[in-house]
Order: sequence, then structure tokens, then C-alpha cells
Amino acid sequence: MNRAVVLLLSLALFAAAAPAAAAGEKLRLGYLRSDLHHLAAWVGIEKGFFRDEGLEVETAGIFNAGAEEMSAFASKGIDVGYLGMAPSVTGVANRAASVKAAALANAEGSAIVVRADSPLRQVKDLAGKTVAIPGYASVQDFLLHRALEAAGLAAGAVKIIVVKPPEMITALESSQIDAFIAWEPHATKAVTKGVGRVLLPSSQIWPGHPCCVVAFEGSVARDRPAAVQAFLKAHARATAFILANTEEAVRIGVQYTGMDEKTVRAALGNITYRTELERAPVREYASYLARLGYIKETDPDAILREYLDPAGLVKDARP
Amino acid sequence: MVSGGRWRFPLQLAPLVAAGLLWEAFGAAGIIPENRLPPPSHVLSGLAEMVTRGLPPGSHLLGHCVASLRRVLGGVVAALAVGIPLGLLMGRSAWLRSLVNPFVELLRPIPPLAWVPLAILWLGIGDGSAVFIIFLGAFFPILLNTVAGVRAIERGLIEAAIILGASRRELFLKVLAPGALPATITGVRIAIGVGWMTLVAAEFTGVKSGYGLGYMIMTARDIQRADQIVAGMLVIGLIGFAMDALIRAAERRLLRWR
Repeated sequence: MNRAVVLLLSLALFAAAAPAAAAGEKLRLGYLRSDLHHLAAWVGIEKGFFRDEGLEVETAGIFNAGAEEMSAFASKGIDVGYLGMAPSVTGVANRAASVKAAALANAEGSAIVVRADSPLRQVKDLAGKTVAIPGYASVQDFLLHRALEAAGLAAGAVKIIVVKPPEMITALESSQIDAFIAWEPHATKAVTKGVGRVLLPSSQIWPGHPCCVVAFEGSVARDRPAAVQAFLKAHARATAFILANTEEAVRIGVQYTGMDEKTVRAALGNITYRTELERAPVREYASYLARLGYIKETDPDAILREYLDPAGLVKDARP
Repeated sequence: MVSGGRWRFPLQLAPLVAAGLLWEAFGAAGIIPENRLPPPSHVLSGLAEMVTRGLPPGSHLLGHCVASLRRVLGGVVAALAVGIPLGLLMGRSAWLRSLVNPFVELLRPIPPLAWVPLAILWLGIGDGSAVFIIFLGAFFPILLNTVAGVRAIERGLIEAAIILGASRRELFLKVLAPGALPATITGVRIAIGVGWMTLVAAEFTGVKSGYGLGYMIMTARDIQRADQIVAGMLVIGLIGFAMDALIRAAERRLLRWR
């Protein structure tokens, strides 16, 4: 029965997509290297969902960090990108680039990982230890601070350093660091490799927390509504496809991350793919970024006005 | 040095000041957008913030400078310690040259940064791997310049020293080392330049202490503050300039005999 529903749903979507409103429109896409959160982009490309909307989507940048992708937005090198909510809010608040978040790419999907044989059992045990984050003002930076606060640890009780995700597992294995927090599939990769153990998944740090978004360059969001709507439609279809076709989603995830099937399959289970953006969590990210001294604009309402595209998949779009 | 005297330095700065004013004016007029290149006034206030508040907040500028200088000096000193003796020996012995040269020629074209993943595997993300990478960048210019310096010494000079009964030790310390010194110093200047360039990129990968100018710039990039990225670059430029001036002063003292 499930299969029939899915079939009907995809047929309905396909029918809706048939009169391509954005015929011939071209969008340059950016996403992060080996970040399974951006699976919908890869599914959209591989399954031709963007093409079905009449869009020509060209991958114009694969980045190592959200901040790098924001630089590409600033130089108008990409039109649309998948990236973390924290770096995109930071860039808007610091006026580094103009982007409009129009949909969620995923919720949850990060984890704090310790060595497999580590005596550390709870977040409180991290006191005095060295924990790696993938970057300042990243979603993971935010999640770690939140977890430490919830465990009653003061800022400064833990030594936080930046290590780029590809180096994290090596650094953990060789005891350079005691723990790291990273996006999937890096967290799961540490586990399947036998190096790490999940201390706390981000779903337990902040249940249902939004993570990555689909953002459009400011002038694209303003001047090319048809292309934006077409992209969002394909994005929603790709997200639905991931939920309905795990096997195929795993295959595409393996193809784009270069990681083994076992890791991708397990990692996929830790990520919630959904598209609806909400205002409250954006406000929460903004107030945390301000509190840590990362951003110059500290009025969350001003940031929300700049950041959210009301024409996108934003719940309660009006303030 | 004679003409100009103490007026030389301010005059040298004039083009820089003019360029700075022009840059500020272009920024104020909106010709250069702030998010592409912030004007000097913003860069200076970003710099002040790095001194007072730190970047990331809590990690101050002085700490970043000290950490980076330590790494560069560590790598360059190690390169000197290996490069000069080996260079002197290789300059003197054709046999040793033909033995070592293939390795030098194979390893030298590999950019030091290509060693980053291996360095992290061997030495971790601490100071060790940064020093190692800087050593790799600094070693070859010192070695090759020393070899060339020894080979450029007049043969008659070396033969005279041998005929006059100089021991091997005396030959190396009193003839070869001083004779090669001008070339070696050129090598050191190149080495420090390369080391300084390599450092920043090596620190981009992450450092355990959380200090270093490259790490600081990476942090500014993470939080997307173009003013502080430029300020960090300015600090690196100034320190590099000061180090080169120091070496040139040392060169003048050491080579007074020429």
C-alpha cells in the first residue's frame, strides 16, 4: 500500500511539474563536500528533478565550509546553495553576502563523538578536554555550546578548537583531541571505522533542530521568482524521494560522498529530511551568534527580515 | 644610506599612505563594495578588536603572533641545522652530491602543503606538524644556496688553505663556511619567506593550541568578517617585512669583511 501511495504521489508531482514554468532558466548550485545533509541536491541532479522543472542546474562550487560558500554568494559565483543555517545567518548579519533562506534541507544529523574506548560517558565528562568543531559560527559550534550549557559546564571549561572534518577522525584516533562534533556522515564514519562512539546525537541536544537550508543569492531571490519556485519544487520532490526510496538515496549518497554503503546507510538514519523553515529557530541561532560575539548586527528581527525569503517554504512567514 | 638620511623612511611610506587614502575614498564613495574589500578605517577597527577582544573572542592578537613566530623560527632553525652542514659537505664532495641530488630533485618540487595530511598523521595537529611543514619549505633554499656558495669559492683559495696545512675542520669553518655565507644568507631570506607563507596555510588545517595567525584568519573567514581577514593579512605582511629587515641588518654586520 505504501508503495502505491508513493507511486501516486510521485505521479502527481510529475504531472504538476509537466508545464515547466521556468523553462530554460539556469541556476548555478553550491553545496558542501561530502555533507550528507545536502543529499536532496544530489538526488535532484541524479534523478533529473531540476530538469523536469525546466531548470538547468549547474554545479558551480563544492565547498569545505559554509563560510566559503557564503564568499561564493558574495561574489555572485553561485545562485543557490545548500549550507548550514548558522554560517548563512552569520554572513547576513555581518553583511558579508546577501542570501535568502527559502527552505530547510534537513534537521538534526550531527553528533558528538568520542573514542570507542573512551571513559567519557556524558557531556559533563568533557570538562577539561579538547573538543574539535568544524568551524566557528557553524551549526556544530552552536550545538556543542548548547550541549555544554545544558550539562552545566561554563564556557571555557572545555577547550574548543577547529579541525576540518576530513582530519577529525585521524585526530581523534591519535588522541590529539578527546571528542569532536561533526555532520553526517563523518560522525557515523568514525563509528563504522571502529575509532569512535557517539556520546550524544544532536537530536538529543536540541530535538528537531534545523540544520542546513536552501538559500538563494539576494538578487536571484528578488528578480527570478519563477526559477526560485521551480527549484524549491524540485527540492521538495527530492526530499520526498529520499524518504520513500532509501535504497536509491543510499546509492546516490555513496556516489557523492565516496564513503562506504554501511556508513551512508547508518548516517542517513540520523538525519531528518524536511523542507519547512520556521522563524523561531532562526531567532535562536541569531541570538547565540550575537552572544558569542560572532556577529555585528544583533537585532534578531532585523536579521530575520534580511534572511528569510517569505516567498519560500517558510512557515508563518509574517513576523 | 648617505643621501636622504632619516627622511628616507617617511618618503618610502608616502606611496602606501596615498594608496590607503585612495582606497578609503573609493570605499566611502561606494566604488569598492564593503563586503568585497572593507576600507582601511574598518580594517583598523577590526584590528583593534583583535587586540582588545580577541579572535575568536578570548584569543588575543599577541598570542597568535607569538605562536606563529615560534613555528616559523622552529622550522627555519631546524632547516639551518641540517641544511648548512649538508650543503657544505655536498659543495665539497662530488660523490656526496651525486648521491643526494636525486632525492633533492625529487622532493624539492613537492609543495610543502602537499605534506599536510602526512604531517598530521605522523605528528598530529600540534606545533610539530606545522614546524615540519615549514622545515620542508625552508630546507631546500638553504641547502641549494649553500652548495652553490661553496662551489663558487675560488679553487685557488681552497688549494692555498690546504697547502698551508689547514686541517679538515679548519677548512670547513674558516674557508668554506664564510665563503658560502653570502649565498647561505640569501637562502635564509628565501627560506623565511617560504616558511612564513607555508605557515599560514599549514595553520588553516587546524592547530591544537588554538593560536596562530593563519588560524586567526581562518576564524575571521568562519565568522565572515572581511575587515578582520584583511587585518590579519596586514599583520602577517608587517611581521614578514620586519623579519626581512632584521636579516638584511644581520647580513650587513656578518659580511662587513667583504
